[in-house]
This record gives sequence, structure tokens and C-alpha cells, in this order.
Amino acid sequence: MDISKAPNPRKLELCRKYFFAGFAFLPFVWAINVCWFFQEAFHKPPYPEQSQIKKFVIFSAVGTLFWLIVLSAWIVIFQTNRTAWGATADYMSFIIPLGSA
Amino acid sequence: MENRLNAAAIWLLILLQGAFVALGERTRDKMYEPIGGASCFRRLNGTHQTGCSSTYSGSVGVLHLINVDADLEFLLTSAPSPPYAPMIPPHLFTRSNLMRLKEAGPKNISVVLLINKATQMKQFSHELNCPNQYSGLNSSSETCDASNSAKNWNPWGTGLLHEDFPFPIYYIADLDQVDKLEKCFHKFNNYNYETHALRSLCAVEVKAFMSAAVNTEVCMRRTNFINNLGGSKYCDPLEGRNVYATLYPRKPAVENGLDTVHTNEKFILVSCRLDTASMFDGVGLGAMDSLLGFAVFTQVAYLLRQLLPAQSLLPDSLRNVLFVTFNGESYDYIGSQRFVYDMEHLDFPPKSAQSPPIAFDNIEFMLDIGTLDDIANIKLHALTGTTRAKQILEQLNNYAKSPRYGFNLDIQSEMSAHLPPTSAQSFLRRDRNFSALILNARPTNKYYHSIYDDIDNVDFNYANTSKDFTQLAEVNDFKNLRADSVQMKVRNVSSILAMTLYQTLTGKEYTGTKVANPVLADEFLYCFLQSADCPLFKASSYPSSQLTNLPPMRYISVLGGSQESSGYTYRLLGYLLSQPQPDIPKENCTNLPLHFFAGFNNIGECRLTTQNYSHALSPAFIVDGYEWSSGQYSTWTESTWSLFSARIFLRPSNVHQITTLSVGIVVLIISFCLVYIISSRSEVLFEDLPASNAALPLPTAC
Repeated sequence: MDISKAPNPRKLELCRKYFFAGFAFLPFVWAINVCWFFQEAFHKPPYPEQSQIKKFVIFSAVGTLFWLIVLSAWIVIFQTNRTAWGATADYMSFIIPLGSA
Repeated sequence: MENRLNAAAIWLLILLQGAFVALGERTRDKMYEPIGGASCFRRLNGTHQTGCSSTYSGSVGVLHLINVDADLEFLLTSAPSPPYAPMIPPHLFTRSNLMRLKEAGPKNISVVLLINKATQMKQFSHELNCPNQYSGLNSSSETCDASNSAKNWNPWGTGLLHEDFPFPIYYIADLDQVDKLEKCFHKFNNYNYETHALRSLCAVEVKAFMSAAVNTEVCMRRTNFINNLGGSKYCDPLEGRNVYATLYPRKPAVENGLDTVHTNEKFILVSCRLDTASMFDGVGLGAMDSLLGFAVFTQVAYLLRQLLPAQSLLPDSLRNVLFVTFNGESYDYIGSQRFVYDMEHLDFPPKSAQSPPIAFDNIEFMLDIGTLDDIANIKLHALTGTTRAKQILEQLNNYAKSPRYGFNLDIQSEMSAHLPPTSAQSFLRRDRNFSALILNARPTNKYYHSIYDDIDNVDFNYANTSKDFTQLAEVNDFKNLRADSVQMKVRNVSSILAMTLYQTLTGKEYTGTKVANPVLADEFLYCFLQSADCPLFKASSYPSSQLTNLPPMRYISVLGGSQESSGYTYRLLGYLLSQPQPDIPKENCTNLPLHFFAGFNNIGECRLTTQNYSHALSPAFIVDGYEWSSGQYSTWTESTWSLFSARIFLRPSNVHQITTLSVGIVVLIISFCLVYIISSRSEVLFEDLPASNAALPLPTAC
């Protein structure tokens, strides 16, 4: 949908919904929220709901960043230690590479 | 009329054109030339991976023919355009050379081709100096000393079968294919080596990617893992079937409603090895390393069947002979370990046989037939010099030296822990006091466990006598075979063994003049070395069975593998150890133990058989929570693979490849710029054109 055509209360409602949905371990929803409402929050002329939207966008951005750091750290740790962890790592894996340790 | 003629002429023209121009050859077929051969593959045990694997998409290397060591030196020190694929003849396929290639790594050596130019070959064995060292009685140097060729069991062994190579090794047996490779090498590669990096070179691509890695523990865990997306298999345990048969039929386990759990029967266990091994998939007959012993084993069984009276006429009518041929013995005694395990758990014979279990105390002694490389130097081995061992040795020599039979053999003895690597070690490992005697010759096989342990290695010439192999022969009747032929050697050894067992069972010396028939040995060796479509296999199959004209594969393989050799052995032992039942018509001869065979004359005969299979899967795979690295049982598995293929093609030089890629990237960038320019100036370029939807007619007003 084209966000620019929606009335302001509807924008706020959507932004809030996306922000709370992100707590269900859905960092991508936060990321989408940030992208979608960034213009609305920072570049549009002020309107009453804007401060709230701005708050949700910032929080979503913080959440996304947090997830990004945690996930990349885990991926680096897991990939570098996968062979050393042996059976444990295999049980954690969904796809095990063919022909290598 | 003229029009029609014209049309016809045009059609004709089209057809003619089509016939010459429209060749449906694919670009792929123009680029590549397939090469047939056999590949080395990956096997794993409890601690290691061995064998070879290509990269996932296939390993590519530039062909380089190795004629002398210097050629190899050139590849390893100053290769101009790596990676290379050396084509190595067998005499240069040595441990030191292969280890140097391995060290050079897949960046320099990506493929190794073994070409079948065996004229200069003197020896070729990839088994260890001490086969099955860690699964035998003990791994001490007393049993086998790898560093002392006089005290090990395979002095020519290189151990390459137990190395892990980072490149595929492909064996090309067909000399036409070898010729094709050499021609390609000479035409494109074998000149002006300085410019190798700048021009197209003849290269080979080998696909032999292996799914399993690390060791059996890892690959079995991954295979059994439920989360395993798509249920892919990484490896399969080596698995086959032992074949056994008894000399006399046994009573069924359930008789008059009573289930026998313990019998008083006394068995002499006669055994040999059924399988062999080699580095390459589907090649390797194991002629000398195990087939000769197997031939003797079958002959002994048949001779005893013919010589001995009915069981009730023996001095001890509870005595019987159990013939077992073990499968997978090349890989840490899979068959015999399982047999021992089953016997301990009173699971032998398998339930399906419906006969009472045989326990260790039912075994009087074991006579194990090992390798018989040099018939003139056979030794009787035992761990300790018991009275039984001495008695058997004396009887063996009595017949071996007897002028009546003229075998002229002298059987030596060795009563020590220096035991040959045969199945008996599995029994002795469980109990050192187990009465096991091993008949084994001094090792002289230079091709032990290799692709060249073939018909030439045992110097076998099929006599094709068409004579009746089911009759015993008179001792002076050589059936037109040379006295030093392999058939006669088998006849002599098996006659001596059978006579000794005859004496043990009847308590009387054998004084007859009938001995084993060399024609049976002739037919047996022909079946297993040249073609399964042979008189002996035909006789022991159902009438008018279709048999393939290739010798049966004797590698143990995995579940769902060919299992040909155990199948043929099952029928063979069934036929040779059974009693004819002339009164039973064909229609009633359908349920075991009755079995209908074609027979020598192919007229069909019903016989009362005693043969059966027992499972040859290592106990390691059935014991819950088995400690894989403990070394208690065989842990060998075979990796899965999707295909083996090899093909040659012209590999463009690196410069060529980089140029092609760069041109592609430049064209891509230019096209993006062009489209951007056109799109931004579209008003100028397409000034007068109406919008695309303007062309549509307006809807008619109703």
C-alpha cells in the first residue's frame, strides 16, 4: 500500500502494530518498520502523530541493530566452531554440508 | 501442374538440405569426450577416512603422461600451469610417489589417473603390511611386524588403501581409452612447456564426489539424524552375507512341539574367506588372495560329502561338519566377528533356518583355510601346540607325503602367536583357548588386494573339458591338466584336507584311490575369474537360469549392493553339499530344505539342502551406544556418491578465461549505461510517438 495516501492516525496505528509484532522474535518486521516509516518520521512536515511514529521507528531501529549484532556474533561463533563442537553442532544444524567435517 | 512441380522441388530441396545441415549433435558432446574407468572412493572407520573424493562439481587437471620419475619431478617442482592430472602407469604408482602427490595438494595435483600399462609392473598391493592388524588376536609385533618383511603377511603392501587422498584416483583399464588420453596429451600438451599457461591444454575432469567425511561416527550420526533435511544418506556400513552349510542335515529346532535350545551336536568348523578388496570400484577378482582358499574349501566340502557314510554310521553320530565362508573379512573380519557375536548370543543359525542354535561348546575345533599363495610352503598355524594340532598335522602330512597319492607336499607347522590374518583370529580374540587351526601358505602374492590379483596372477587356463565335475577322480587321472596347473594344486591341497577330516570323523585312515576332481576346480575358477555364465553355476541354479557373463563381484559392498558372490556361493554350497531326492517330483520340490537344481546334465533334480545365509554386518552397528573408537568391532562404512564420470576436453588458458570474463563484465556495464541514457532521453528519441495505451480504440458508447 502507498503509505503517503493513508490518514495520519492510520499511519501511527500501523507503525505501532509493526513495532509490537517485532517482539515475537521477528527482527525483520522491525527492519521493515524502520524503512517504511523513516520518511514519515523524519522528513515529513510535522503533524500531531509524528512524534509517536518517530519513537517507534527509533525503537525498531535499536531492536534491529541488537538482533543484527547478536545474530552475526552467533553465526561467526557457530561457523568457526562447528567442527570442534562435533555432535552438538550437528544436532543444531538443519543442513549439514556434504563431504566435509 | 507447374505449381505442383515447383512445390515438390522446394520440398525436395528442404529435405536434402535438412539431411546434411541439421545435425543434432549437442555442444556438450562436441566439447567433451567421455573416458570409461573405475574410481577410487571413500571408506571410513571409527577414527579415519580413507580413499578419495573429487570436488563437488568435479576435479579438473591438465593431462600429463608420466613415463619416468623425472616427469613426476617436473610436475611437482616446476609445473607451468597447475593443476595437473598425472597419468601414472602401475610401476610408478608407488607409495612414495603417491604421498608426494598428496603433499603437493589439490591446487597442484587435482586428479590422478592410473593407466593400465602394466608391462614394467613387478608388484602392486595397496593393503597394509599387516592386514587387519588392530582387529585380530592382538596388535603386537609378535602376530605381525610391519617393519620386518619376514614377519608380516603382506611384504609388498604399500598401505595406500588406508590413506586419504585429496584428489580422485581413476583407473583406466581399457587400452583404447588410454590411447585416447595419450593422443590428446601429445597433440595439445606435450610441447613447448613454457607456453602452457598461455594456451589451451588437454584436461580431464573427474567427478567422484563423496558425501561422507571424518569417520564412521560422524557420518552414521548424520545419516541417522532425524532433522536431516531431505533424508540424505552420508554413508552405509559394509554389509553382506556369510554363507554356511552343514555336511549332514540337522534336525529342526521345533520337533514334536518341543523347542530345542541346546544340542549335543559336535561340529568341526571349516571356514574360509568369501570376499576380497581393491582400491577401485567394481574391479578386483582377488584370485590369489582369497579365491584359491575358497576353491579348496568348496572342494573339501564336496569331497567329504562324497566320501563319508551316512551320519548314523559314523562312530559318533552326533558329529557334523559346519562349512562357513565369511564375508567382509578384508575389512576387519566383519563376517567372523558377527558370527562369533551371534554364536555368543545363541543367534546362530538365524531364526529363519529353524534349526537349534549352535553354541561355542558345540564346536570341536575350527579349521580355517587362509591364503594359499605358494602351495609348496603351506603351514599349519595354531596359537598353542595342542595334541589336536599335532594330531591333525601328522595326519595331513601322512596324506601329503604318501606315495599312494603322490601329492609330494610337506606341511610345516608354526605354533605361536604369529598367526596369519584370517577369520580364526576373531574366534581366538574372544577366547585364546579356542581350538583353531589355520592352514596358510607363506605370503608370495605381490598383488594382494589389488586390481591385478587376477587370472594371470594365478596362471589359470580354463581347460573347458566339459567333463562331469560331479564325479570324483582317480588319483592318477589328471583330466589332461598339467601337473603344475593351479587346478591340480587345488585338487592336491583339498584332497589332503578332506582325507584328514575323513579320518578325524570316521576314526579310520582313508585308503581309497578317489581324490578331488581337478575339473571341479577348473570350473570353479572359471566361474569366479572369467564368467558367471559357466557350467558349475548353471548346474547349481534353477534350470535354464539366465546368468551374466561377468565374474561375480566379490567385494562385500553395502546393503542393496550386488551381493552376487554370496548368492552364487549359496547355490553352490547348496548343490555340492546336498543329497539327491529322486523320488520327489519337481512340483513338490519348492520349500527349503528341498531345492530344485538344474544339475550337471541340466535335466533338473530335487535335492535336500543344508545351506543358508547369516548376516555379515559388524556388531558395532547393532550394539546400542557402541564406542566407535574402541576398536572392538569393525566399523567400516562406505561413503555414498551420486556418480562416477570422467571426460576430457580442451581447457582454455587462464588468460583466455580472464579475458572472456572481463569482456562479459564490460558489456554488462555498457548495456546498463546505454539503457539509462535511452530511458532518460526517451522524450527526445521517441518524440512524436503516442503513449502505448493511446492506440487502443475508445470503448463504444452504448
